[in-house]
Order: sequence, then C-alpha cells, then structure tokens
Amino acid sequence: MTEKPIQGEKRVFMTGNEVVAWAALAADAEIMYGYPITPQNEIMHYWTRLAPKHGRRFLQTEDEISAGFTTVGGVLAGRRAFTATAGPGNTLMQEALSMAEMMRIPIVQVVTQRGGPSTATVIYSQQEVTMTCFGGNGEGARIVYSTSTHQELYDYTIKAFNTAWKYRFPTHVLGDGYQSKMRESLTMYDPQARGIDMVPTEPSLGNEGTPGVDREPNHLRNTYNTEDELYDVVTNIMSDWEKYAPEIAEYQEYDVEDADVLVIAHGVVTRAAQAAVKELRAQGKKVGHFRPVTLRPIAEEQLRKRVEQAKSVLVVESAYGQLRKILDNAIYGLTTPITNFFKPGEGVTADEVVEEVNKLL
Amino acid sequence: MFRTSNILKLFAILFNNSSYKNYFLENNNFEVRKIEDRIIEAYIGEYASGKSENAVNRAVELREQGRKVTLVDLDLVEPFYTLRPIKKQLEELGIDVVAWETRETMGLGEAGSIIKPAMKWVLRREHDIILDIGYGVEGAKTFNLIEGAAENKDLKIFAIVNTSRPLTASVEDIVEYIRGLGKVDGLINNTHLGDETDWEVIEEGAKIASEVSKELGIPVIYTAADEKLKDIGITTDKQGFPVKYIHRYMPLSFW
Repeated sequence: MTEKPIQGEKRVFMTGNEVVAWAALAADAEIMYGYPITPQNEIMHYWTRLAPKHGRRFLQTEDEISAGFTTVGGVLAGRRAFTATAGPGNTLMQEALSMAEMMRIPIVQVVTQRGGPSTATVIYSQQEVTMTCFGGNGEGARIVYSTSTHQELYDYTIKAFNTAWKYRFPTHVLGDGYQSKMRESLTMYDPQARGIDMVPTEPSLGNEGTPGVDREPNHLRNTYNTEDELYDVVTNIMSDWEKYAPEIAEYQEYDVEDADVLVIAHGVVTRAAQAAVKELRAQGKKVGHFRPVTLRPIAEEQLRKRVEQAKSVLVVESAYGQLRKILDNAIYGLTTPITNFFKPGEGVTADEVVEEVNKLL
Repeated sequence: MFRTSNILKLFAILFNNSSYKNYFLENNNFEVRKIEDRIIEAYIGEYASGKSENAVNRAVELREQGRKVTLVDLDLVEPFYTLRPIKKQLEELGIDVVAWETRETMGLGEAGSIIKPAMKWVLRREHDIILDIGYGVEGAKTFNLIEGAAENKDLKIFAIVNTSRPLTASVEDIVEYIRGLGKVDGLINNTHLGDETDWEVIEEGAKIASEVSKELGIPVIYTAADEKLKDIGITTDKQGFPVKYIHRYMPLSFW
C-alpha cells in the first residue's frame, strides 16, 4: 500500500485543473482515461505526474469516444475510474455516458466548459449545461455538480466518486475554463481524516465463481429486444432517479428571506452574484441569490419557494439560456417575472449583476 | 583623418577609467552603455509559480532606474496568464513589450500562440531584456526557439519556486524539478498563498529554498513578497535572502 497522497490537511495554492487531479488522488481514484483538450489538459498533465508516484494509472486513448468507453470499462472491472474533457470532447463522450445511464455504471466525468457551439473557443463558457445534464439519447439520469471555487472543485471531485458509486448514476463535476486556469488557495485533506469514507467499488464483470452455479449471472446489456422490455428498464431507472433526487440535490442561498429581486446563477458566475448581493445589501436593497449546486437534479422545492417569494427574478449565465431552461422546467406554473442576463462565452462581473438588478428595483 | 579604430581606442580608455564610466552612464542614460552592462534575465519555473509576476516586476524596476527594457512574453502554451491583457499598461511605463495582442491572435484558435519573429530574434536587441518563459519544463524548451539563447553568456536564468504548490513543496521535489529545467543560474523564493499570504508562509518557503540552494549549488537571488506586507519593514528573511517587494500585476490579466 502506497503512502496516502495527502496526510491530514494542507493549505495550498493551485490552479483548478491541478485541484481536480489531487482530489481524484485523495479520493483513491485508481485510473484516469482521457484525451487532450483545452482547457482540461492540466488535469491529465498533473494526473500523469502524480499517478506513478502513488501506484495509480493512466490511459490516453485515441479520442473521447474511446476515453468515455474505456472509463465505462474500468468501472465495470471494479476500478474507481474517471475521465475529464470539455466542449467537443464532451460531445463525443455522450454515447458512453448514455450507456452508463442505461447500465447504471458509476463513472465520474469532470467537464471544464469551453465556448461553443462546436470547437468555438478554448477559454470559457457555461454552454455545456444542457449536454452534461441531458446529453445523449437518454433521460438525463445523471448527477451534475456545478462548482464555483477551488475548494469546491476539491470537495465535489471527491464527493462525485461517492455519489456515483452510492447511487450508480453517472456523476459529473461541471467546472469551466476560468476555474481550470484560475489560481487560488484551498485546503487539501485526506477524506478519511474528515470522516469521509470512500464508497467501496466492485466489479460488474469477472466476479468469482461460475455464473448460474455459484452466483447469479451479471446480465449486463444496453440493448433490449422489445419495446415493453425497454419500457420496464427505463421506468425503473427513472423511478430510482426520482426517489433519490431530493437527497442528492444541493443548493446555496444568500439573503433570500426578504428578497424582492432574486438572482439565480450557477458555477463560477455565483461569485459575481454573491458579490453583487453583498454590495446591494450594503446599500439597503432587498436582493438575494439562489445558487443551484446540483444542476441535475435541481433542488426544485426550495427553488420554487424562493421564486414564488420574490417580486422579480434575474437569471445570469455565461450561456444563452441553458440554465434558464432547467429553471423553467422546475418552476412551471409560477408567475414571478423573469429577466435574462445571458453572456454566452463571456465572464460576468459583480458590477454587471448590480447594474442589471438595479434595472429591476 | 580620424579612423574608427582610434575612436574605439579612445572609448576603451574612457571606459576603463571607472569614474569616467560612471559619469558617462549617468549623463548619457543608457545610450552608450557597454554590452556587458546589459541585463538579460529569463524567468522560468513550474506552471503558476509566479514567473510572469516576477518578470514584470523586474522589468518595471529596471525601467524605473531609467534603463531601457524589453519584456518578452514567451508563454506560448498558456493563453490566459500571458502579458497580453496588461501590455498597454506596461508600454505606458516605457517598457517595450514583445507579446501578442488580442486582435493579432484572431484565427489562431486552439493552435494557441505561435512564436512571433520579434520573439525569435529578441536577443539581437540592445539594452535590457527580460524573458517570461511559460509552462514549466516544456516551456523551458522555448529557449531552443530563440536565436542565440544557447550561446548567450549574459543570459541569466532564474527559476521561481512557490512551495505552497504541492508539486514543488518539498526539497526533494524541487531539486528534481529544477534539474529538469536545464541551466539555472538562480532561485527565487516566491512562496505565497494568494491573499492569505503571511510571513510565516514566506519564511517556510525561504527555508526550503535555502536547502534546495545548498543541494544544487545554485544561489537564492531573493525572496519575493507582496508589497502589501511591506509595512512591517522586513528587508531580509530569516535565511538571509534579500526580500523584494512585488506589485501584483497579473490578477488584472484575468477577467
């Protein structure tokens, strides 16, 4: 047994991509599969530097289709496996992710959103929300954590492995190019030292004993002969999804109790929203901020409550309404007016949020 | 007729007399400085160790001394933390900045930033040259792209180390890392934790840098500290390295 990569706790200064590599190491991830794409590359770079020192492994595949499927394969073999990608790479991974949804394969995927559609820019956006939550020909039985700080990148990368293996839904850490490249301090820790036990992994293939004699056979498939059979399978998946969604959903609230204007934002944009609320509150203005941490499943009940309380809602995102669609679905029937502040591919500053809120007050 | 060689002889006599030399340097600014007075420094090191920050501060420092400075952005891999966004600000200070401008990179896309001819030939320039070399060990190979870098005797290469970064936190790791960088003439202790930096953090880094220095036989040039910590009046750290206060320019280059 190699020494623990992180002993106790340590305050460090890093880029977001390094954080992900260290978090995966701390979470006892055994192997990463991947194919290079900006702005994700340093996750691989750092993992490949760290892995050999700690007895972990890495496989660079020929493309992201393969990276997705090899991750699936690693998990089927009982490995705590993960991959990371962005933009068009995420697009190519969707087939493997759909398969993971269908077969309840607990793979972990880290997404560092870049601009889209298509190759677009290598920099930043929040345009992979729809794809990460609902990509492929499935029903969106996926868990998506949208992070905003390096601490969260660390915390949720570790958590993603446990959520995935506990509920057996593909689990995603949704970052972005800004978080990837940004430098800030965080506390790295050994999960066990904080009482976080890693959910044990188990192989789906190659178990001991003769199938049908010593044990039940593991009948793994993603192809069904009849519509009725498929109906049963998908209904069961979604029934589990609905059952677990409330306990998986996470959110944060800032000054929402008496807010006239409610700002809704996720990921790195929450930082601008939080700063704006602080500034506006200092001026005595009744403004609050609701931040979904999980985009899938969304904290529907709490979201509806806050939207209903507010006189006006401002949705802020670095995409053209991808968050808005998720919100609309969750708050259907409420009549609170909603204003959009969409900046696809561009960052949002606190000043801009303040300005938009002031138009609504 | 006065022959050129005679003029050179006359200059040689003048320059060999130090008082003349100083008089000359003070009153003629940098225009007739002898070639060995040039400062050519390259700042290299681990990704996000603070190379650009220290390079920029050095360029500004030299400029404030009235020297003519060219600052070269040779961070060819990383499109975010390059000097591009603060290029204008530095140019207003009178620094000649050789870096891409956003409009020039239009269409380069994911291929990233290719080397500019002005970067390749930059060592042919006169006066002081500060090179900001991005992206760790791979970045250090950028020297292969610069004409005359291998032969240049004046070129001093400084490796920046921030021991708050886990991959360069221990003496052992730093020694291994610096060895991978090739020729290094000096170390700079740039240990910090962003806004949370205090002297304890910096001193811890200085201690590690001191041990690395002994092991590699490479001197520590200085310990860098944010100018916000200047009030306490520390000029030398506990290891005896001079403390250089730096202004943080790079946060401006993001968002």
